[in-house]
Amino acid sequence: MKKLLLILAMILLLVFSALTVGAQEINILMEAVPDTTYVQELIPDFEEKTGIEVNVEVINYAEMHEKLIPQLISQEGAYDVIVVDNYWVGEFTTADWIIDLEPYIDKSDKINTDVYIDSMFNMVGQVNGTTYMLPFYNYAMALVYRTDILDEMNLQIPTKLTDYVELCNSVTEQTEYYGVVMQGLRPDPIAMEWLNYLYSMGGDFYDEDGNIIINNDKAVKALELYVENINNNAPDGATGFGFDQAFSVIANGKAFSYITYNWMLPKLNNEEESEVAGKVDIAQMPGGHSLNGGWGWAIPKSSPDKEAAWEFIEWVESFDVAKERALMGGSPTRNDVFNDEEVLENYPHYTEVKTILQGARPIPIMEDSTELIEVLGRELSLAANKDKTPQEALNTVAEHMKDLK
Amino acid sequence: MENKNGLFDKIITYIVLTFASLTILLPILWIIRTSMANRRIAYKIPPQWVFDPTIENYVAIFKDLNFLHFFMNSLIISLLSSLIAVMLAAVAAYSIARFKTGGTSLNVFILSTYMLPPIILIIPLFILVKSLGLLDTRLAVIIAYAGIHLPLLIWMMIGFFQGIPEALDESAMVDGCTRFQAFTKVILPVTAPGVIASFVMSFILAWNEFIIALIITGKTSRTLSVALSTLSTHQGVKIAELSAAIVLTILPIIALSFFIQRYLVYGLTFGAVK
Repeated sequence: MKKLLLILAMILLLVFSALTVGAQEINILMEAVPDTTYVQELIPDFEEKTGIEVNVEVINYAEMHEKLIPQLISQEGAYDVIVVDNYWVGEFTTADWIIDLEPYIDKSDKINTDVYIDSMFNMVGQVNGTTYMLPFYNYAMALVYRTDILDEMNLQIPTKLTDYVELCNSVTEQTEYYGVVMQGLRPDPIAMEWLNYLYSMGGDFYDEDGNIIINNDKAVKALELYVENINNNAPDGATGFGFDQAFSVIANGKAFSYITYNWMLPKLNNEEESEVAGKVDIAQMPGGHSLNGGWGWAIPKSSPDKEAAWEFIEWVESFDVAKERALMGGSPTRNDVFNDEEVLENYPHYTEVKTILQGARPIPIMEDSTELIEVLGRELSLAANKDKTPQEALNTVAEHMKDLK
Repeated sequence: MENKNGLFDKIITYIVLTFASLTILLPILWIIRTSMANRRIAYKIPPQWVFDPTIENYVAIFKDLNFLHFFMNSLIISLLSSLIAVMLAAVAAYSIARFKTGGTSLNVFILSTYMLPPIILIIPLFILVKSLGLLDTRLAVIIAYAGIHLPLLIWMMIGFFQGIPEALDESAMVDGCTRFQAFTKVILPVTAPGVIASFVMSFILAWNEFIIALIITGKTSRTLSVALSTLSTHQGVKIAELSAAIVLTILPIIALSFFIQRYLVYGLTFGAVK
């Protein structure tokens, strides 16, 4: 009996020693990306200036939404500041989970929303005229291509999507390389990739009056070109490739082009990760409109300390800190950072990235955007595998879109 | 002739067993191989078979991922939650086995709570933990795991206790033990393999659990399973570092399995045939 009591006492002791309640500072939930690392490196400066301790909790994208929901629906959550992916903007603002930042912006002498690139601010800044977020970083897609192959063939990156697919055909036929590596995995990879084709063909989900046009001639043509490219010019199995497989093909020097995030260029130019370092460059999507993506800083309604949260956002989005992040390799969202001489000196391709961003378009901001991508991804995959014609696949998407909010 | 047949049977047996083992071992061997490759080689298709092994991935996870901190979190949480769950389960299971506590339906009812998908419990659990001020503490995860694994452990242990003749309790009590002493001094030692098997089962479940840890832990109390998931990034899966982390993460489980293999097999079949 005594022994048992002793064991019980020891367990209780261990349990209490395991209790570690962090002191109340400001807590931020962020995604595991380089831009987060740059912010983390600069935070000591903020802590020194304000005396507010900042805890950054980093998790991966797939789990962020799950982790955020219980926090956002409870009256008081643990996070003072969150970052919002453009996928979630419709959902978070409709559910009233993040606060209107305008009262804070009006009082601030440091934040002016005019400095942001329009396409960024309209995606992860304002919704219907109300500012809920400040754009943090961009992940607009672009065309990454091999300069050496293009030079060898004495050609240039075309300005029209049809010509680009022709170019991919020529590379596949005339050289030992695949014209393109593609990511046909459903739902996200294929949907994100094809939207570059759609927007560059001049297509869209809705027209200006809100009518569904996802199955019009332009969209069907965009899908026909996509199906042609993935079946003729991409490696076998590309219809099942995700990001990692596609990246590995281009990094191992087997493909001429790849439509991916603009900030993959430095990664492909890094000798430690890629065999094509120094032989790749970035261009705007032939047709001029790629898929835009980005994250915005927001303060949840459940934030325990909104004033301190704003103080942090004000600091992290100030010109100096935004520029510092860009110099470390971050993806800017502000015009003045893109135009900064020192930034351009270090990253000359940012001139091109700015053009790409200006032309980029996001997926529609709506409550059911995740479901839209699910359906779109499934139908595109069926078309890519020739189980449906492009017209049939897009008709199904259009039909489904009628039920989405 | 018989010998020849015997040899043939043996060869067939070994071939089948080799293939069966490989289906389980190959992914693990591949992970061990990838953990020693640099990032460029790790993703190469077709794979590069021969390369200079490196420990840079292991260094990276200790330096950049703060692996040791999360490892200790997982260890403390798994050990304590399993200890608590096993102790409570042993008492409850003994009571059900000996006194038919709760009638015939209780043991089925207990298991039915385990049939709930954990995701259903997430939001109530979050609100509970938050209101107790235990968010991002190891204590919260320990209590949650102990509570969630309890039904399964009780159910396992009922079988173990039923396998021990009641005459043993009675003899102990005739010799002067109280009922509790009979339980702790006679019955528990006899069912030790079963108790250890239950402990290991609970430990492995806690070690691998993800969704509850994701929701109620934070920067300080995060467990390994959640920490490892951060290696899957927007810029792709950091497969080389992830492999290194997986190798180190499965080590305690493999070590534990070897250590208690004897008990585990015995424990899992204990009480199956009475």
